Amino acid sequence: MWIEYLPHTADIRMKIRGKTLETLFRNGIIGMGHILKEGFCEKRMSSDLSLKIHVESSDTTCLLVDFLSEVLSASYTEKSIFCKVDFLTLDSSEILAEIHGMRVEVFEEEIKAVTYHEADVHKCEGLWESVVVFDI
Amino acid sequence: MKITKAHINKLEDYLWEIPKSFKPQMRVPARVLASEPLLDAIMEDRSLAQLVNVASLPGIVGASLVMPDVHEGYGFPIGGVAATSYPEGAISPGGIGYDINCGVRLMVSDQKIHTIRDNLEELAKELYAQIPSGMGKGGQIRLSSKDMDTVLSKGAQWAVANGYGAEEDLAFMESKGRLPNADPSMVSDMAKKRGSNQLGTIGSGNHFVEVDYVEEIYDDDIAEAFGLYEGQVVVLIHTGSRGLGHQVATDYIRKMMSAMANYNIEVPDRELCCVPFNSSEGQDYFKAMCAAANFAWCNREVISWEVRTAWQNIFGPDIPLKLMYDVAHNIAKIETHKVNGQEAEVIVHRKGATRAFGPGFEELPLIYKDHGQPVIIPGSMGTCSYVLAGTAKSRELTFGSCCHGAGRRLSRTAAKKQVNAPVLKERLKDEGIFIEAGSFKGIAEEAPIAYKDVNMVVDTVRESGIAKRVAKLRPVAVVKG
Repeated sequence: MWIEYLPHTADIRMKIRGKTLETLFRNGIIGMGHILKEGFCEKRMSSDLSLKIHVESSDTTCLLVDFLSEVLSASYTEKSIFCKVDFLTLDSSEILAEIHGMRVEVFEEEIKAVTYHEADVHKCEGLWESVVVFDI
Repeated sequence: MKITKAHINKLEDYLWEIPKSFKPQMRVPARVLASEPLLDAIMEDRSLAQLVNVASLPGIVGASLVMPDVHEGYGFPIGGVAATSYPEGAISPGGIGYDINCGVRLMVSDQKIHTIRDNLEELAKELYAQIPSGMGKGGQIRLSSKDMDTVLSKGAQWAVANGYGAEEDLAFMESKGRLPNADPSMVSDMAKKRGSNQLGTIGSGNHFVEVDYVEEIYDDDIAEAFGLYEGQVVVLIHTGSRGLGHQVATDYIRKMMSAMANYNIEVPDRELCCVPFNSSEGQDYFKAMCAAANFAWCNREVISWEVRTAWQNIFGPDIPLKLMYDVAHNIAKIETHKVNGQEAEVIVHRKGATRAFGPGFEELPLIYKDHGQPVIIPGSMGTCSYVLAGTAKSRELTFGSCCHGAGRRLSRTAAKKQVNAPVLKERLKDEGIFIEAGSFKGIAEEAPIAYKDVNMVVDTVRESGIAKRVAKLRPVAVVKG
């Protein structure tokens, strides 16, 4: 399973995996898009909006959370769900990327924030993985 | 280390303690206000592990505390209280939460439930039409940059000055609907952009507008002072600072994550990130948090205007709805409490906890002053809610704090698996409760089964002496996102 949703009393706990850091981060935005509107990213191959984002963080775990936070903020200000990302730079503390999304009328779920709680980007049995807890 | 009953000492009925010796990082003990059955339920998730982590905050005094409605959060548990020494103790955005000044207000009518029974379905639909709810739905107000800064500085006063509120409401809000330390320049452009069309919106999740009636009065004197009587129709509003507040918290948690090293602070969970209150980063966050709190009070006042509009459309122009009280349950305040027997100023973080000051508190409206601060405890859409009054004992036990709701019991996923939302909606309608919601998914996630028994939670706070029961409310119409 590349994207899993685990039990949490009030919020959403998502576990993501990827063969590379790029795929881990990409699965992060697909998983987040699924929360905003179920199945949205499974259907959408095209996009009507692209944005460049730049994120710098102290370590890879913070980078994942900060990256998802930037994408989430863009979702709300642009009323769009971003399912695709092209990384121009991705290292352990910096991302320069272009994100691609589609406008939506309404979101199905309100994610208040992407939290750092339990986030830990690490390698396990050859795959990158992390948990991400969303405040709902 | 997993926390078991063996690690918990009973201090008195309804008060339990995990001693400081449980974990080396703890600076104070961790305390749980709960009956034994509730404590057993609390131990099923990670609330207590999170409470223990909170006890390691720099400058924390007394004890880290959770209320009986606690449930697992992220970093801090929801239903937690932490007081740190002022001015050098920690301020932690995670101790306030992403929804800064999420809170509840209660409006009271002069109608009795039997006079409006036939209008309830129509009223629910009209409230749903007037109050934008759900995600992505903007409000009727588009704030200019200048107006946004005024909202952030003045809070609910902006709504009153611009025809969206009532002057007499202001006295009946915690902090009179405005924190004076707010500085709009500390709020990012992104946060302001997210909030620019969100005044007057409730959002989704557990936020709602609900029509109730007073089912039972427990304390005649206090109820009379609060303007409550049996059969009376009232309106509960539960929401916060919307995307603006979420972005403020996101921005400052990120800043504090890197700033902590400057103060040699290490925390057991990144979401507990914090800096000294009197540091530049601490002051910037506090000013931004106050601004977001002001946005939330303004938001609830504008929603009240929308509720009043709906009311007039159904019942005509001469039916007043007065504000009984408005309380925050996600906020940090500088307050004076007894610490080690001495009066001291402290920074009280309340995350899913309500201020519950007793009689004599000077900020209270004159008519409430002898009775204590109103505390509003919403239950779930099919059960009941409560109005309580704070007591002097809350200052002794919980830094003047009380619970904030029933507290979640089931995850959203589990609730969706167990609840057939269309069936629930019809069942509630048969019981005289009309639900208007953006989706069946939202109804399922917020079904009564997803919550603890609010009666047990309220019994615990009553029997522990931190609040008195005043009235029980029964829902009849609910609007959800």
